Amino acid sequence: MSTASRERILAAAKANKPEELPLPTVPDFGGEATIERFTTVLTGIGGTVVRMAALDELEETLQQLFPEARNTSSPLFRGTVPVNSQTPTGILAEIDLAVLPGEIGVAENGAVWLPEANMLHRALPTITQHLALVLDHRRIVATMHQAYAQLPHTGGYGKFVAGPSKTADIEQSLVIGAHGARSLVVVLY
Amino acid sequence: MSHAIRADKFLLDADRTTWHDETLWFVREKRDRAVYAVPEFQELRELASGIKNHTLSRLDLYLREFESAAQANGVYVHWAADAAEHNAIILDIIQKEGATRIVKSKSMLTEECHLNPFLIKHGIEVVDTDLGERIIQFRDEPPSHIVLPAIHLKKEDVGDTFHTHLGTDKGESDPQRLTEAARQHLRAKFIAGEVAISGVNFAIAETGAVVVCTNEGNADLGVNLARVHIAAMGIEKIIPRLSDLGVFTRLLARSATGQPVTTYTSHFTKPAPGKAMHIVIVDNGRTQQLGRPDFRASLKCIRCGACMNTCPVYRRSGGHSYDFTVPGPIGAILSPNIDMKKHASLPFASTLCGSCTDVCPVKIDIHTQLYKWRQVLGEANEIPASKKWSMKFMGRVLASTRVYGLGGQFARKALRLLPHGLTHAPSMNAWAVARELPEAPKQSFREWYAKQPQPAVQPTQPQIPA
Repeated sequence: MSTASRERILAAAKANKPEELPLPTVPDFGGEATIERFTTVLTGIGGTVVRMAALDELEETLQQLFPEARNTSSPLFRGTVPVNSQTPTGILAEIDLAVLPGEIGVAENGAVWLPEANMLHRALPTITQHLALVLDHRRIVATMHQAYAQLPHTGGYGKFVAGPSKTADIEQSLVIGAHGARSLVVVLY
Repeated sequence: MSHAIRADKFLLDADRTTWHDETLWFVREKRDRAVYAVPEFQELRELASGIKNHTLSRLDLYLREFESAAQANGVYVHWAADAAEHNAIILDIIQKEGATRIVKSKSMLTEECHLNPFLIKHGIEVVDTDLGERIIQFRDEPPSHIVLPAIHLKKEDVGDTFHTHLGTDKGESDPQRLTEAARQHLRAKFIAGEVAISGVNFAIAETGAVVVCTNEGNADLGVNLARVHIAAMGIEKIIPRLSDLGVFTRLLARSATGQPVTTYTSHFTKPAPGKAMHIVIVDNGRTQQLGRPDFRASLKCIRCGACMNTCPVYRRSGGHSYDFTVPGPIGAILSPNIDMKKHASLPFASTLCGSCTDVCPVKIDIHTQLYKWRQVLGEANEIPASKKWSMKFMGRVLASTRVYGLGGQFARKALRLLPHGLTHAPSMNAWAVARELPEAPKQSFREWYAKQPQPAVQPTQPQIPA
C-alpha cells in the first residue's frame, strides 16, 4: 500500500540521513558566449548553423535548405500543415519539416532551449523528420548555468535540443537520425 | 557463481575481449578530451558532490518538497518500498487505463525491479525503445552497460538479431541501415503506444519536474504521443533547485560518452491537457544504504558509466560477468547492499587502482568503498574458504620478521626444487593460472645486505627526548 510505504520511506530517510551538510553556491563561471563557439560546437555534434540578416528572410532561407520538404509546420509562417496540441498522431507522423523558435542558445554545447509554448505540439520537435530552430543570435549564452539563470521557469514541458537525434548503440558507430529528427538546423538572425 | 568464473566465459573469445577493452577505452579517451576542454571541470565535480551530499543530508525534506510540487503540477505521486510494489503500482496504472501497448525508454530502475518480465506475464506488451535496449530485448539478454546496453555485441550479432526479428537482409551488418530499420519499426510502436514509461535522470525538488536525458529522442517521442506518462525514479535522483541542473548537465554527457551534452535534456513538469502523468518514487534498499556511513556516498551516482569505461577489470570481463543491473565498479559497491551473499565476489573484481574514483563526476570514493566492502564481507564470512585462509596465513607471515624470513627461504628453495607442474598447479596456486612466477634468486635482499661490509663511520644515534 502506497501510503504506508510513503511513511516508511520518509521515516527511514529521516532516520538514516547524515548530519546536515551545506548546499554549495554555484558560481557563474563566465565563458565564451559567441556565435563562433556555438557554431563550432553544434557543427561538431552533427547540427548545422545558418545565418540570415533578419527574420523576414526565413522562408527564403528554408526554401534553399529544404527544397523537397512538402509537409511543413511552423508558428512563424504559414506552413502546409497546421498543428496544435490536439493534432492527431497520424498527421504529426507525416511532417517533413518543423520550424520552431528557440529561446536560448548555449555556446559550450550547442543546445537550444525550446519551451512547450514554441512547439505547437509536444511531440512535434521529435516526430518531424527534420527540425529547424530559429534563434536570435543575441540570445546565445556561454554555459548551462547562464541558460538556467535566464529561464523564468520550465513550463509544463520544455527541453534543450543539441543537434539531431543520434545513436551509437551498434558497435559505437555514430548514426545520425535514431528516432527523432534526422537533421537539425539552427537558423540564427 | 563468482565474477571470476563468469568472466572466464567472456574471455574465451580473445578477439572480442580485446575489441571490448579497446572500444570502452576509446570512450574513456573521448571523455578525457571533453573534460579537458572545460577549465572548471574539477570545480564542477566538487559542486556536484557537494549538492548531492547536501541533498542526502535532507533527503526526507526534499522528497516531501518534490512530492508537493509535483502534485501541485497535477502529477500523481506514488511511493514504492521495493521492486514488487513498484511493479504492482505500474501494472495497476496500466490496467486502470485499459492499455496493453507500452513504450519504454531507458530506466535502470525498471531493470533493477525486473518490470518487463512482470508486465509481460500479465499480458502487457512492453517495447524498449532505446536502440541498444531494443536489441537486447530481442535477444532476451540483460544490458551489459548502463549507458551502452549492447556494447557486448558486434554489428554482425545485431544484424542476425534484426534479420530474425525485423526481417532485414541476411548478413546485413551496416550500422546505418540497421538503425534505419529499427527507426521504422519503433516509429510504429511509438505511434501505437498508449502508456509511456521513462526513467528519471534528475528530479527537481523546487519545481516537481523530472528531467530525462537521451540522445535518440525516444523518451520524448514515447511520452508525448502516449496518453499516460509513468516516470520511475529512485529516491536518490532528487536535486534541490533548477539551477543545480547547470552543474549536472555539464558533467553527465561529458563523463558518459564525451559529448558536450545529450541531444535532448527534457523537463517534464506537467501533463499535457487531457493526459496524465505519474511519478513512482522507489526505495528498494536505498534508505538502508543511506544508513551505512561507509557506503552512503554510492547514492550520489548519476549513472554516467565513466567508472565502467575506465575500469581495467570491467573492460576485460564484460558487463554480464557482474550479474547485477548496474555492473562495473559502481555496481560492485551497490550490489552487496541489495544481496551480500549473491554479490559477494563483486568487490573483489577490482585492482583497487582507483581509476573509477578519479573519473567519477560526483566524486564517489568508489575504490575505497570496494576495499571497505571486502572488510564487511570478510567479517560476515562471505568470502571463499581458499581466499579466507590464504589471507589469514599471509597476514601471519607478514606480521613477523622471523616468519617472513623463513618463509622466503622456504619459498625460494621450493620454487627451485619443485616441478613447474606443481608450483603452477591451478588447484594449488590460483595466482599462477595465467601468470608465471619469477625465477627464484639464491638469496634475499636482506641476506645480501647482511654480508656487505659495515660502513666505516657509524651514524650518530638521534637523541630521543625523555
